[in-house]
Amino acid sequence: MKVRDRGLGVWNRIAMLWRRRTLARDIDDELAFHLAMKTADTNDALTARKQFGNVAVLREEVHDMWTFPSVESIWQDLKYALRTLRRAPAFTLVAVLVLGIGIGANTAIFSLVDAMVMRGLPYPHADRLMVLIGNVQRTTVERRGNSYPDFADWRAQSTSFDAMAGYTPLTLTFLGASDPERITGEAVSQPYFDLIGASPAFGRTFRPDEDAVPQRDFVMVLSDSLWKRRFGGDPSIVNQPVAILGQTFTVIGVMPPGITGVTDAAEFWVPFMAQGGLTNRGSRGFNAIARLKDNVSQSQAQSELTAISRQLEIQHPDTNEKRGVEVSSLSDLLIGPLNSAVVALMVAVVLVLLVACANVANLLIGKSESRQREIALRTALGAGQRRLLRQLVTESCVLAALGAMAGIAVAVFGLRTLVATSPVTFPSYVQPTLNLTALGFMAAIALACGVVLGLAPAMHARLASLGAALKDSARGTSSARAHRLRGVLVVVEVALAIVLVVGAGLMIQSVRNLTALDPGFDPTSVLSLQVNIPRVPAPPASPTPAAPPAPPPSAAVATTCQTVPAPPPIPLVISSTDLIDRLRALPGVVSVALSSDIPLGAGSGATFYNAEGDARSGAQTAPRAYFHRVTPDYFATIRLPVRAGRVFTAADLSASSNAVIVSENVVKRFWPGQDPIGKHIGLGNAPPCLSIIGVVGEARHRGLPDNPTQDPDLFLPYTDRPGLAVLVRATGDANAIATSVRQAIRDQAPGVVVYNIATLESLVGQQTSRSRFTSWLMGVFAVTALILAVVGIYGVMSYLVSQRQREFGIRMALGASRAGILKVVVGQGVKLVAIGLVIGIPAAIGLARLLGSLLFGVSPIDPSSAIAVAVLTVVALAACAVPAVRATRVDPVVALRNE
Amino acid sequence: MGTGSRPSEGELLPGTLDMLILKALSRGALHGYAIAQHIQRASDEVLRVEEGALYPALHKLEVRGWLKAEWGLSDNNRRAKFYTLSGIGRRELERESRYWTRVAAAVTRVMQGA
Repeated sequence: MKVRDRGLGVWNRIAMLWRRRTLARDIDDELAFHLAMKTADTNDALTARKQFGNVAVLREEVHDMWTFPSVESIWQDLKYALRTLRRAPAFTLVAVLVLGIGIGANTAIFSLVDAMVMRGLPYPHADRLMVLIGNVQRTTVERRGNSYPDFADWRAQSTSFDAMAGYTPLTLTFLGASDPERITGEAVSQPYFDLIGASPAFGRTFRPDEDAVPQRDFVMVLSDSLWKRRFGGDPSIVNQPVAILGQTFTVIGVMPPGITGVTDAAEFWVPFMAQGGLTNRGSRGFNAIARLKDNVSQSQAQSELTAISRQLEIQHPDTNEKRGVEVSSLSDLLIGPLNSAVVALMVAVVLVLLVACANVANLLIGKSESRQREIALRTALGAGQRRLLRQLVTESCVLAALGAMAGIAVAVFGLRTLVATSPVTFPSYVQPTLNLTALGFMAAIALACGVVLGLAPAMHARLASLGAALKDSARGTSSARAHRLRGVLVVVEVALAIVLVVGAGLMIQSVRNLTALDPGFDPTSVLSLQVNIPRVPAPPASPTPAAPPAPPPSAAVATTCQTVPAPPPIPLVISSTDLIDRLRALPGVVSVALSSDIPLGAGSGATFYNAEGDARSGAQTAPRAYFHRVTPDYFATIRLPVRAGRVFTAADLSASSNAVIVSENVVKRFWPGQDPIGKHIGLGNAPPCLSIIGVVGEARHRGLPDNPTQDPDLFLPYTDRPGLAVLVRATGDANAIATSVRQAIRDQAPGVVVYNIATLESLVGQQTSRSRFTSWLMGVFAVTALILAVVGIYGVMSYLVSQRQREFGIRMALGASRAGILKVVVGQGVKLVAIGLVIGIPAAIGLARLLGSLLFGVSPIDPSSAIAVAVLTVVALAACAVPAVRATRVDPVVALRNE
Repeated sequence: MGTGSRPSEGELLPGTLDMLILKALSRGALHGYAIAQHIQRASDEVLRVEEGALYPALHKLEVRGWLKAEWGLSDNNRRAKFYTLSGIGRRELERESRYWTRVAAAVTRVMQGA
């Protein structure tokens, strides 16, 4: 049709929509009139009718002129498809279920990807938000955090950013009417709230002077959740004082719901300056958030800050040697660690969907074989090939649509379970839901499935030569090509399944490695908790300056050896000996230890140290260690093995003690093969005056699986401190004593806060949660794929056997043994499975690469892969064997008579 | 259009049916049977119009807006659908017949030469 006519044509057709009923009648009338005239003219009704040809086809053709034939016939196809599917309920149910699982799992994981990766962070200009993380070049570059003077210099000198603000998590103990509560918030410098796009629901945020002058006013902004939970949602809270352990703050504003800060856990905000210790350039611990200018790239900003860092290194060699700064995008920092897991899962579900599709394609082919005569008949009655093809595709699309509906149920259930049971904490703004994007994605994959599935039987139905099927009986018409197509599907299923099974096997092995990993101490039966003990109230005459809420850890080093005057002992309302005695008296308690930090708790500070007789080395290789202050029973409580010397005694527990216990690597580095007892080390720049009294085993104190850095640990005698960790070894389950331990501590004095009660085992478990979660899901997907593949293989083999029943009958009649038949059938299966394995194994290795960072101590060529391959092979062959055995049971007489 | 098969004895050259229909209607309204009769007669029984091609073509032209149609009574008092040329149809007829004359003459010249 010429283009210029098209508009009018479409319009005429649309106009016809309102005259549909008369259209059909008019066409009939017109043709009938023609026929009548012709009959009258020729006096020969038969010839007239013969010449007229197929009236039905003509009528349809004319009708199509007036309508949108594609739309109309699609409707017809739909009705027909639904009828066909209803006639085969078992087939439909299985296909819908299989597709539902595949589509649903994809949709669920996609929602997760969408929520995490695609929707982006809930901040304005989130793509330009960067996090500046101070680092140090040692043997590798290590993230260290920033010092305030460095940060101030970056802010003053850099031109790449619109705005820059420091933030750091901060925990304060809220006092007041209810129980004291440890609450996490953020100390932030301005314009932090502008950067994250948060403005208070009421009240205000910090004024510049509150932010600039150290500890001028102690003001605080509350989160919506804290305001509602602890202050009853009372709007008059603004300008009211809030009692915090150590300092009273004034509330100046409340944030709207959903604002949780960059740390995603903040329930309050205080000015950055409310922390002390911000003048020390060498005291590093916080990150900064900054927004790139519109026309500045991340790498430009990175080079600018690197240049500034080089300047600072020259100006402040003592604190800034080898110090740099990393410009990392905020989304990489928040989402990055989860990315590889999510991508791996997405790949896994896509593979599951492909296996599901292969299975349904197989079912459809089987079905189309039995329908070949029907299709041939429709061809003979004038159905065009394209129309038939469309019918097949419509049918499979209807199937896929039903599958998608089942998939919604699977996805809703799956997502809920996923989020609820996930040991991985997703960022709070990640709330995967079945939104329009997810549903659109689902519709797209369902459509893709439908089309692909429809083409599969069409490919093998050989529409071109369907005429043959009419003449022939059904038997024997399914060509070698059809067999080959089904064989290909089996191969595909095996290959896909092996990828998933190997992937899951690697993940599971990796988790086994992680759980089997020896942290160097024994976490079983140990309860760990943290305690805040109030100071004895100071005499009212001399108000003590408020201690900083969270002193940066490394600032408090080097207090021994008399080189630096020891701080005056802080009188606490409970003494450490009282605390230990009280806890040790509890039933079920084996031993009790106090420590400055809990294992795996990231609370220990790093310090440089020096060893007697060792030349000082530069920042890159200067010996660095993490130090802990512990009571004598610490080593027994967590069963950290003592390799040489002794542990502390009560006599060592004084601020003036110069006893130190080191972990093995210190000895290996400085005194290999020598007796380390009595050797000396020094902390920081102090002379080596600490005397080594014992050596303990190396432990993964700071994190599994790889203890972030390889630095050793140093243990100093415990000194009283308001914030401390308590470790209690129980006779049995550590959980059993949790309540009594908490109660015993709280009963000792009012105002004591107990928090972070957990078994050491659960802390170890948390460290591996990401891997366990991923491996659990991969396992589920792999098993699903395996089951689907086995069902598919079984189906195809059964079908092939049934097709060759007569052949087997003849063979057996001619004297073939049952074993021979078995060999033929199984051999066929083995061939398909083998090809599948050959294709699948390299693909599996590819997937293992993708899993890379999720795997621990596992290479793709792992024994677990071999086990996975073996499992799949055995199961696949079993699926072949059942129909094979059935083939041997064929009674030749019956098989032949069947013809 | 039409059956799409090769032209055999008495069949129309592909693409000419539309033009012949337009021509048949240039002198007034006709129903489908009369159009077929007219073409057959006017061509001295050389051209035969198959019903299977005629009606799709008529309806196609009507959808396009080249023809208008109206139900009326035939000579023998039966309800019949009468087609007439629309303004567009008349212009198309002129265009097509000019084109046909030129092409036919050209083809003839080629066939008679050499």
